[in-house]
Amino acid sequence: MSEIENGVTEASENKEAITSLLFQLADDDFLYAYRGSEWLGLAPHIEEDVASSSISQDSMGHAAMYYKLLEELGVGNADDLAHLRPAHERRNSILTERVNGEGFYMETPNYDWAYQVVRSYFYTQAKKVKVDSLCQSSYKPVAEVAVKVKMELYYHRLHWETWFKQLLSSTDVAKKKMNEAITRVMDDFGDMFSFGIQKQAIEKYKLIDSEEKLKENWLASIEPVFAALQMTVPTIPETLANNGRNGEHTVDLDEALRTLSEVYKVDPVASW
Amino acid sequence: MAEEKAFYQEYEVFSKRTPTSTFQYQFSLLAPNEEMALVLAQENFMRREPVVDIWIVNRKHIRKMNVEEKLTLRRLDNKDYRTTKGYGYLKKKWRHYEQEILDEKEILSWGGKRK
Amino acid sequence: MTTLHNMSDEDLLARFMERIEAGDKIEADDWMPEEYRLTLIKLISMHGISEIMGALPEKEWVPRAPSLQRKLGIMAKVQDEMGHGQLLLRVTEDLLKPYGKNRGDLLQDLFNGDLKFHNVFHMETKSWADAGIIGWLVDGAAIITQTDMLGASYGPYARALQRICAEEVFHAQHGESIILALAEGTDEQKAMIQEALDRWWESLLMFFGPASKETTGSSKQDVTIKYKIRTKTNEDFRQIFFDKYIPRILSLGLTIPDPTFHFDEESGLWSYKQPDWEEFKRIIKNKGPRSQARLNLRRSSYENNAWVRDALSATVN
Repeated sequence: MSEIENGVTEASENKEAITSLLFQLADDDFLYAYRGSEWLGLAPHIEEDVASSSISQDSMGHAAMYYKLLEELGVGNADDLAHLRPAHERRNSILTERVNGEGFYMETPNYDWAYQVVRSYFYTQAKKVKVDSLCQSSYKPVAEVAVKVKMELYYHRLHWETWFKQLLSSTDVAKKKMNEAITRVMDDFGDMFSFGIQKQAIEKYKLIDSEEKLKENWLASIEPVFAALQMTVPTIPETLANNGRNGEHTVDLDEALRTLSEVYKVDPVASW
Repeated sequence: MAEEKAFYQEYEVFSKRTPTSTFQYQFSLLAPNEEMALVLAQENFMRREPVVDIWIVNRKHIRKMNVEEKLTLRRLDNKDYRTTKGYGYLKKKWRHYEQEILDEKEILSWGGKRK
Repeated sequence: MTTLHNMSDEDLLARFMERIEAGDKIEADDWMPEEYRLTLIKLISMHGISEIMGALPEKEWVPRAPSLQRKLGIMAKVQDEMGHGQLLLRVTEDLLKPYGKNRGDLLQDLFNGDLKFHNVFHMETKSWADAGIIGWLVDGAAIITQTDMLGASYGPYARALQRICAEEVFHAQHGESIILALAEGTDEQKAMIQEALDRWWESLLMFFGPASKETTGSSKQDVTIKYKIRTKTNEDFRQIFFDKYIPRILSLGLTIPDPTFHFDEESGLWSYKQPDWEEFKRIIKNKGPRSQARLNLRRSSYENNAWVRDALSATVN
């Protein structure tokens, strides 16, 4: 198959597939970074607070690169795409939109560090699997971005894997919380490798490996860690209540969108 | 010595900016163990500068000098014979033989291509 | 030979003061008079915990920042504040060694109300312009007091401040960038800055502390000057702040919310209406508008995460 060049317009089907995939990538990192940023100042200790904020920033930076690709495709201005699209147009996975715990961030929220660790570790591994594949994408611009994103994922993985392993090798309380978090994260993992209704086109144009291949790679990537912890690798659910890739979301996303666009929406045309 | 459970252990952080530079002391941080300290080091102290390597050392493994020991570090300023300063007269001598002195700059340049 | 072990406290003190006078740097393990240690602990723990508490009002605007670039910028800025807290608390923790106290104790002191944090961080933020004013003017004020101590006699503090001040330059520009975008924006945006300035003006005046201890009944400024920790008085700082920032504030078409405010040619000083120092005392006793809410947030997040610290605590000897 010939490589798809920057122009993309030869077939509108291509463009739709590319746009859909880019929204999935951009929205995932954007929401993941947003949830990470709510943790600012509230991590278990100060040094960790500083370190994990870098990961949120990197991830927001990755989202910005994907939104920029969409902007270059003429889909819209990157900031508008990030701030103005309603929930049903968002293509992020359910996992990335989930709240960090009970309570609003402006009051006294009750965030769960076990959930933060498990979500981040599983998400980062999934992102790594996708980014590795995207480096070979037939769509050159995304392959170029993927090469850059990959560079920062080494640290993200090391960071979350260290937390994941250490907490699961510690006290009974920690193990219990971590296992509960694994269950909650896996309940939402059904659309992580889904391409939604664009599956056929995305796979046909070799924009990225197939859903099945990505799942397989993800399971293979976490297997050694689970083996070392003498734990069973979790299963990715086959059926799902909502598929974020098709714009089906939970109320958690509505709340996030209200907050993250609050100032921007005061005047979307103004310069901020 | 009494045993106690501690989350806050003190680690000293050292880093290398480029492959050719030497390790430099950065600062100390608190972490529950060595692996965690290593994972936290760069983002805490080197967010805006390049790093190619990091060392961390648990502070309890550092043998420090006390004030009296620091007194052992002082030296008189009469050791020209250890430096080129004591051999400054050579330049003039060599000029007499119409030769340039092989000073530090010249000698350290010999590592390059033959000129 | 006289060794340090058998020197009397008086001799040790004389020798210590000679070092201070000579501009020597004191290090964590050096002998120091208790007054010096306690002054440092009080100053640096308050500075450090203020950074940690100061992250909270700004953090309120992190998720709401109005563009991808602003979201990134403010995240990095709040991260730096936490990072400054890290540096300063490390310096404090080393000073606390003889008392057997650690970071956990410092946080308990904060929760008990024994460890105070800066008046500005007890205040409410209401609009995005507040994020701008905090970066521009609160950080500007902090830069003035912090740069004065870059030459502090206590080496570890001076070194931490070197790192901090280098980052403050970014913070100040981050704040300026937000403010200039608003100042050059719509009428609504311009109004946001004036409202924010009106809201923060008194807090900014209070930031430097009272001019003398007669005002509020206590002031550490004399001791810190004696030990060469800082060189200028609270009022010196406030006047420098006016020198640097008043022309800039006015250049943006903003109004100083104090009709009496003017430069007095004769004294060479800015004349201003004194803030309510009784209110200042109440605020720093954790009775400000957001004191309890922010302390609750800090306390609950610390307690929610106790299991994490417990899980990874190792037995050490």
